[in-house]
Amino acid sequence: MNKLIEMENVEKAYKLGETEVHALRGLDLTINKGECVSIVGPSGSGKSTIMHIIGCLDVPSFGSYNLEGRDVGEMNDNELADIRKELIGFVFQDFYLMPDVSAWYNVSLPMIYNRIPPRERKERATQLLDSVGLSQRTNHFPNQLSGGERQRVTIARALANNPEIILADEPTGNLDSKTGEGIMQIFNRLHEEGKTIILVTHERYVAERALRKIHLKDGMIEFEE
Amino acid sequence: MDRGFLLESLRSALEAIKTNKLRSLLTTLGIIIGVTTVISVISVITGLKQKIATSFSSLGANVLYIQKYPWVMGGAGVDWWKIRQRKNLGMEEYKALKEYGSSFTYVAPQISNRFDVKHGDKKVDGVSVDGTTEDFPEIMNQQVKLGRFLSTDDIQYRRDVCVLGNDVATTLFPDENPVGKTVRINGRVFTVIGLLEELGELMGQSMDNVAVIPYTTMTKFTGRRRSLTITVLAEDEDEAREEIRWILRRVRRVKEDEEDDFSINSAGALTRQFNQLTRALFIIMVGIAGISLVVGGIGIMNIMLVSVTERTREIGVRKAIGAKSSEILGQFLLESIMICFVGGFIGILLGFSLTKLISLTGNIPFGMPIWAILLGFGFSFIIGVFFGFYPARKAAALNPVEALRYE
Repeated sequence: MNKLIEMENVEKAYKLGETEVHALRGLDLTINKGECVSIVGPSGSGKSTIMHIIGCLDVPSFGSYNLEGRDVGEMNDNELADIRKELIGFVFQDFYLMPDVSAWYNVSLPMIYNRIPPRERKERATQLLDSVGLSQRTNHFPNQLSGGERQRVTIARALANNPEIILADEPTGNLDSKTGEGIMQIFNRLHEEGKTIILVTHERYVAERALRKIHLKDGMIEFEE
Repeated sequence: MDRGFLLESLRSALEAIKTNKLRSLLTTLGIIIGVTTVISVISVITGLKQKIATSFSSLGANVLYIQKYPWVMGGAGVDWWKIRQRKNLGMEEYKALKEYGSSFTYVAPQISNRFDVKHGDKKVDGVSVDGTTEDFPEIMNQQVKLGRFLSTDDIQYRRDVCVLGNDVATTLFPDENPVGKTVRINGRVFTVIGLLEELGELMGQSMDNVAVIPYTTMTKFTGRRRSLTITVLAEDEDEAREEIRWILRRVRRVKEDEEDDFSINSAGALTRQFNQLTRALFIIMVGIAGISLVVGGIGIMNIMLVSVTERTREIGVRKAIGAKSSEILGQFLLESIMICFVGGFIGILLGFSLTKLISLTGNIPFGMPIWAILLGFGFSFIIGVFFGFYPARKAAALNPVEALRYE
């Protein structure tokens, strides 16, 4: 198997006011290319922190993290930005779409930072929106879309630069279960297409989708299913 | 910089300005005031300079006007009362200058009046009539088109003869040669002996609505008590000035320790005085503009810091989808420059309107140089970069995780 993510003894500590919080305490984790993994655990277990580290938004305080064989801990800000741009697509619980631009423009935003020419950008954005079932909604603004539709736009945006990994943080947290089911079907399809999917969630039906479930507690892996 | 990124930053900047129209406008007030000041002062001074230059051209280069009073009163230590007490300038001074002067070739006395000039049932009102001598055309650079100018005899014998300007001649004699005909100036009959070459208009006023008569004849109207203007054509202005002072102080018996009791006016001296004045104006302008631009800049910095805070999460999202810190920096810097440009643009428009208003009410030619506009935009740009840099750097340095979590 092709190892994509390799974490060894990763620790993360940060200061919250006066007290030092140890969000991760020596975590070993390997995820292969094309896997679908869910990370579950109660709040404060370090779910978000591991998300941020995998997504290269943050770096470990201690231990090593290799992504595609490259040491993330050694990277500077610009290299981390490049990794996020090319390898990772984020799907957030609260969507985080730009409110003042249309759906297709939101999707094309990561491509702007990736220096994709305008015509290609528009084409690809339309294609991606089509693939998540929003071909009739490309010119709508986020506030004209339902929650499920917004999350689809977010997924399309995550796919804009054709990343290796889709990182989803509570992707169905703000949706009713029926809509959430639709979103999960999209993740399933993406997994079948060969994407590596990492879902952080505390919803059972979401976690059940994954072949591999990692339970976190107090910044360490409690057990795996 | 990549075009797509630049356009996106522009779009985002305009969006931010659009959503906060009033806030952006208030923020740019300092810049608006600063740029308006710069633009209108530069433009008004440019217009004034044009006006002065054209007005001075009619005074003639190297022509000195020796008069009782200075053209421009001002400066420290001017004793207005003392100036009022000055003796009139008379023929004695003129004769002394004509006899002893060596640094100038032509001297002419001059008394001007406005009179009506009539021929038959035709009449021209308010003709500027100059009483002078034969040197006058040389000094004033005037040519005779038809007939002749005044001769020494005309002056000596106080003849009732006149030379007409083009406007007067064409109105009174539409289709005949006026030379040899008679006109009535202020009721007195004069024989026309010549016609002056056309001079055209200056500042919307005709320079051809004139008539010239012998100085000695003019005193029939005015008496001998009016103060003269003595005009001199100098080769070197400074040298002539010194010599005239030397002669006149003796003729008028000015004591060693007293100041001159006459004034030597000239276009050159007036230009110098005017330039001094505009220099002072420029310094005041730089002061006002500088202060308002700095205040404006601080306003920009303040509003940009607010904008960065308000959009913390947006910055987090942009970073998550791959924006580099330098790109966030560029985006916010561009936003600050755009706000300043909006202010600069409004300032230029206001400066334009203000200059237009001043030029209309003050009868000053409208002159708004291109470089003033560029200067306005230049100032805006520099303020935008200088005061926008700190907030933009703050945005760029945001930690993506914290920015995403920001509520």
